[in-house]
Amino acid sequence: MTAVPVRPSASVVSLALPLIALVALVGLAVTTHRFLSLDNARAILASTAFVGITAVGATLVMIAGSGVSLATSQTATVAGMFFLATQQYGLVTAVPVALVTGVALTGLQGAVIGYWHANPIVLTIAAGFAIGGTTTWFSGGTPVYPEVVAYEVLNSTPLGLPVAVYVLLGVTVLAQFTLRGTTPGRQLYLIGSNRAAARAAGLPVGRVTVIAWAFFGACIALTGVFLASFNTSATATLGGTLTLDAIAAVLVGGTAISGGRGSAVRTLAGAVLIAVISDVLLLRGFSTGIQILVKGILVLAVVVIVHLHATRSHR
Amino acid sequence: MRRRWLVQPDHLIPVVSLVVVVVAFASAPALSGRPLQPFDVYNALQGFAQLGLLALAIGITMIAGEFDLSVVGSYAVGGMLAVSAGATSPALGVLAAVAAGAAIGAVQGGLIARLRIPSMPVTLATYIALLGLAYAMSGGLSKSYPNSDATLWVDQTLAGVFSPRSLLTLAIFVIAAVVLGGTKWGRELRAIGGDRRASRVAGVTVDGLIVWLFTVSGALAALGGALLSYSYASANPDPGLQPLILAAVAALLGGVSLAGGRGAPLGLLAGTLSVALLAQIVAVTALPDFTTQLLYAALLAVIVIVESPGLRALSDRFRARRADG
Repeated sequence: MTAVPVRPSASVVSLALPLIALVALVGLAVTTHRFLSLDNARAILASTAFVGITAVGATLVMIAGSGVSLATSQTATVAGMFFLATQQYGLVTAVPVALVTGVALTGLQGAVIGYWHANPIVLTIAAGFAIGGTTTWFSGGTPVYPEVVAYEVLNSTPLGLPVAVYVLLGVTVLAQFTLRGTTPGRQLYLIGSNRAAARAAGLPVGRVTVIAWAFFGACIALTGVFLASFNTSATATLGGTLTLDAIAAVLVGGTAISGGRGSAVRTLAGAVLIAVISDVLLLRGFSTGIQILVKGILVLAVVVIVHLHATRSHR
Repeated sequence: MRRRWLVQPDHLIPVVSLVVVVVAFASAPALSGRPLQPFDVYNALQGFAQLGLLALAIGITMIAGEFDLSVVGSYAVGGMLAVSAGATSPALGVLAAVAAGAAIGAVQGGLIARLRIPSMPVTLATYIALLGLAYAMSGGLSKSYPNSDATLWVDQTLAGVFSPRSLLTLAIFVIAAVVLGGTKWGRELRAIGGDRRASRVAGVTVDGLIVWLFTVSGALAALGGALLSYSYASANPDPGLQPLILAAVAALLGGVSLAGGRGAPLGLLAGTLSVALLAQIVAVTALPDFTTQLLYAALLAVIVIVESPGLRALSDRFRARRADG
């Protein structure tokens, strides 16, 4: 088996194929009954928002080359629980409490990874068990209900769109600005493409890694807040499949898992693309299983194309 | 010599974790107030059987420096296929599951080897796709298995503590240990996990090995799923992330490193037994469920510390100084 013959066709595959697929999708979408309606566009954006917010945060971590977190669902759950448990003090208190929870838990993992070079996967599995176990311990395994309800405003739909969509856009802009316009943001790319070189060049690898993970933590907490508001109570399964859904959105956005490349805007596009495809399949009457299957194939295709593109441009 | 054998992390971690957990298991009566029954051991071994093939599947890919997340997908699809195809002949169901798992693995292995692409995003995508497939096969519901003879057979008690399922799982571990220990494949697997470019230069057929590796990994995972659905008399389309996480924990406790190049099937066996015994300890002592999670977290925290390069450099320096003096 030789890997050489792949090269000449790589450019064709990595440029033409996505274009064809996109044209096919657009064709399929506009011919789908009820796809081109304002309500449907709203539904797509709304279903993008929860996962999208977390995925934008996960982008920073993946660009930094510290891979992925397998503790995302648990962190969102605990942030959501704190949010509901502090409702009686008003949103002004409850939202910061959730944010601090997310930032502290996730930033701490970032510190161990950044300063101590711990393996992110092992560490986040451990953190997931610790957070999940402690959450069940303190909640007694029963759902958390708010004493009073202050979150209603988060479920409202100003100008026809859920608040979460505006937050998603805000988070994306903030992440994109951090990545392109600030020193730590640009350093993230350097650290992600070559950690050893970044360290040798005297970049504050530890500090920048913590910033990326802390930002990620804030994003997870926001998703937790919206999930809790949406569900009006929080159980241990509040986070659901957030962990992998967020990674999938980042990957479909074309960010490489090895780090050094990617952008928050592209992750947003990835999240929207997944939502559009699920929506088209749903409207055409395909089952949940087929929707998940297609999502997996989409992630696989994008991962392969991004990889071919990257290895070609490196030569 | 014996000391040196033990201080290597791929021996130290599984030996220590197994010893600690076995001691804890043996002293469980002090907390529960009732002596251990053979049935408790049987249950622990059932837990081992449930996790074992999955841990072996992901573990061998980790030894080679890869990370096959799709094993849980093959596990789910394998279970679903076995239940669908094995209603009259359980062997046929197992065969269908194993063939499908091997085919899925071969395709992934081919992709990863040929394109030299990191295995994690590829297998993550396959995992999502396979869960969708399992979902689509069953309409999102559990699919029950009507052949109660097979269900009774796989879980019958043998010699007090074993079942055909746990014995089969043990046997596969032994086969894996013999094959990887007695042939060049074991060395080559560690070599491509440690330094892929060097092993390529040294003449290891890296690409072929990776295709085989993922084929075997997929087949093992699907077999595990098939046996589990026979045991439960139903197949679950969405096992969640938990089996994957536990299999990874078992592999890590087995002395395998995520960086690759380290580990062996017997270590994986010790790691899987540790995880299964730990769950059984919590069951025997009637501790609340979250205790299991906290114990896993504590064990993994130890591994994080042992594996962190900062700390390893420190211990290397210490050992070098002692060797000098």
